[in-house]
Amino acid sequence: MSFEPKIVAFLCNWCSYTGADLAGTSRMHYPPNVLSIRVNCSGRVSPLMVMSALTKGADAVLICGCHIGDCHYVTGNWQTEKRVPLLKKGLESLGIDPRRVRLEWVSASEGARFVEVVEDFITEIKRLGPNPVKGAHHDRRTACSL
Amino acid sequence: MEELRIGVYVCNCGTNIAKVVDCDAVVEAASSLPGVVVARPYKYMCSTPGQEMIVQDIKEQNLNRVVVAACSPRMHERTFRKALQTAGLNQYFFEMANIREQCSWVHDDAEGTTRKAEALARGAVYRVACHEPLEKLSVDMCPSTLVIGGGIAGLTAALELAEAGHPVHLVERTERLGGNLARVDLTAPYLDSATDLLIDRITRVRESPAIKVHLSSELKELSGFVGNFEALIGPATNGGQPTTEGRRVGVGSVVVCTGYKEFDASRITHFGYGKLPNVVTSFELEAMLKAGRIEMKDGRTPQYFAIVHCVGSRSREFHGYCSRVCCMTALKYAHEIKSSIPKAYVSDLYIDMHAFGKGHEEFYRQSSEAKTLFLMYDKNEHPVIKRAGPKDDCDMLIEVNEKLSGEVIEIPADMVILMVGMEARPDSGQVARLVNISQDKEGWFIESHPKLDPVATTTEGVFIAGTCAAPKDIPDSVAQARAAAARILAKIARQKIEIDAVFAQVDEDHCSGCRVCNELCPYSAIEFDEKTRHSRVNSALCKACGACVAACPSGVIKARHFSDRQILAQIEGILS
Repeated sequence: MSFEPKIVAFLCNWCSYTGADLAGTSRMHYPPNVLSIRVNCSGRVSPLMVMSALTKGADAVLICGCHIGDCHYVTGNWQTEKRVPLLKKGLESLGIDPRRVRLEWVSASEGARFVEVVEDFITEIKRLGPNPVKGAHHDRRTACSL
Repeated sequence: MEELRIGVYVCNCGTNIAKVVDCDAVVEAASSLPGVVVARPYKYMCSTPGQEMIVQDIKEQNLNRVVVAACSPRMHERTFRKALQTAGLNQYFFEMANIREQCSWVHDDAEGTTRKAEALARGAVYRVACHEPLEKLSVDMCPSTLVIGGGIAGLTAALELAEAGHPVHLVERTERLGGNLARVDLTAPYLDSATDLLIDRITRVRESPAIKVHLSSELKELSGFVGNFEALIGPATNGGQPTTEGRRVGVGSVVVCTGYKEFDASRITHFGYGKLPNVVTSFELEAMLKAGRIEMKDGRTPQYFAIVHCVGSRSREFHGYCSRVCCMTALKYAHEIKSSIPKAYVSDLYIDMHAFGKGHEEFYRQSSEAKTLFLMYDKNEHPVIKRAGPKDDCDMLIEVNEKLSGEVIEIPADMVILMVGMEARPDSGQVARLVNISQDKEGWFIESHPKLDPVATTTEGVFIAGTCAAPKDIPDSVAQARAAAARILAKIARQKIEIDAVFAQVDEDHCSGCRVCNELCPYSAIEFDEKTRHSRVNSALCKACGACVAACPSGVIKARHFSDRQILAQIEGILS
């Protein structure tokens, strides 16, 4: 069977999540490899969240936010833009191919762009193969109780 | 510690979800997850019986958490939160899995899509287990409204709000009010003067003390959220160098009425527009009608007229949609031409006659009786316009393969009128970005729900009215403008807006006082207490972006409802 990567996508509520919804309302198509998580702002995405996804079974992580200058929180995506390259350096030192983490800007009106980004990323990750570190960290912490 | 009792509801959404996703499989997978005590599928979860099912289960099965796997949370999160409230459960003990917009509508492989839906539902179950009860915040609703665009829709919306006693900022990019309608002479089907329709409204807008008209101005920036937006209104640059100077005004709502642009006829070469001097567009004829004299380029009065429908509309190369107003406008021209030049011959070349509105079919019959020659042509075989020879008593000849008779007919013409359709304005993308709304592939703004919520958008507090959403006639534009105003008046009447109780909180006991968060907060909502050497978030100023949460080196800032614990649980859920 061919390798079907699992990609966790952190989408900002205001632009990218709405853009991904627009791809749906416009009935565009892309493969089901992407599992999205809604965050308020791409600036909320912490290294902890990305590392957690990569160690718990994701082959790659996509982070999408509003275009620079259009952030709902004014400067939130500036933080993301600064943070992601640092995170990629960190990944490299841990032996994880930094191409497994991608940052893209997708606005609320760019359903088609969301589809392009996803399809392109899936193709790249298929080429890179499965994430070697997934499942390495056996954190068996299940759903937290009250 | 209270035992987890989670209810999971999987919506079929008619066939919208169920035709690709095996909903029963999603229910079965969810029912074995830790803490899940009920899992059910249902046709339409958002329907009254669907919501009642949740309320009843909460009461009878003592549920303390609810997950609905259905459409986007942007669509119905609020609906289901209300159901939880009805049942007496804190509304934040709820999570939605988006298995429609980001699942069944975008994938067609049933197996893969069902597995994805299961994973998304699992993520929601794991996340909801970590949810905490929160109380919504109530903030004042600003009664002012920003109306963008001074055409018939914008004028109507502004008047409706002002007459209820509320302030309006009406922003118009050009130096005058009236929009595209100001370029029109008479209106179909009752042949009322467009000027009369407009003058009354413009005068009332001008005289209203509640309406501040900003001419030659445009919206530069919009920040904030429903009830509390801040708009920067500055001089219109018309695509020139952008400026950030202007006036900041506080508004509670925004109505976008930016209208349409007419199709550029020079994009179609086969009608000879731009080459043959007397091939004109509908708006060029309007200008002659308004001036009171129809004349050819050389000053002669034309005798033979030909009106060509669907220029740029209903075509494969340009716009697939129908522009809705051109058929009736074409009939109106036949009337106006004949009353201005009684000896004129008018031919009307159409693909299909769309006469769907009130009084439209009657108007069509009346035009047929007034001896307009109707010729039907095929969508894929356009009429050919050429210069007439020296022996002809007309300037041009039009060859048309008439569909009803099946014959190729040649008709004379001195003036050809191209019924140019409507298209989205070229800068509509900029407007969409400024106010954060979506556009379809043709550039029209997208409504929250095409049938049930036609003037709201996915951004709460931002409404759309008139032809910026799709081609429509004057009555429909006016109805939408009034609908948008009614929606806003309802919000103003409540005086308060409930906003999400999501904001960041610093665990001050563990704050190291490094002050990394102080600088990066876009709202300066984080203060540093010099005495305790700890940072503190001012919850009234915090907008919950979470930038500080992600940056805190000690990990002691918590984003309520978007905490690390909740998001990490969701990650674990979707991946396990």
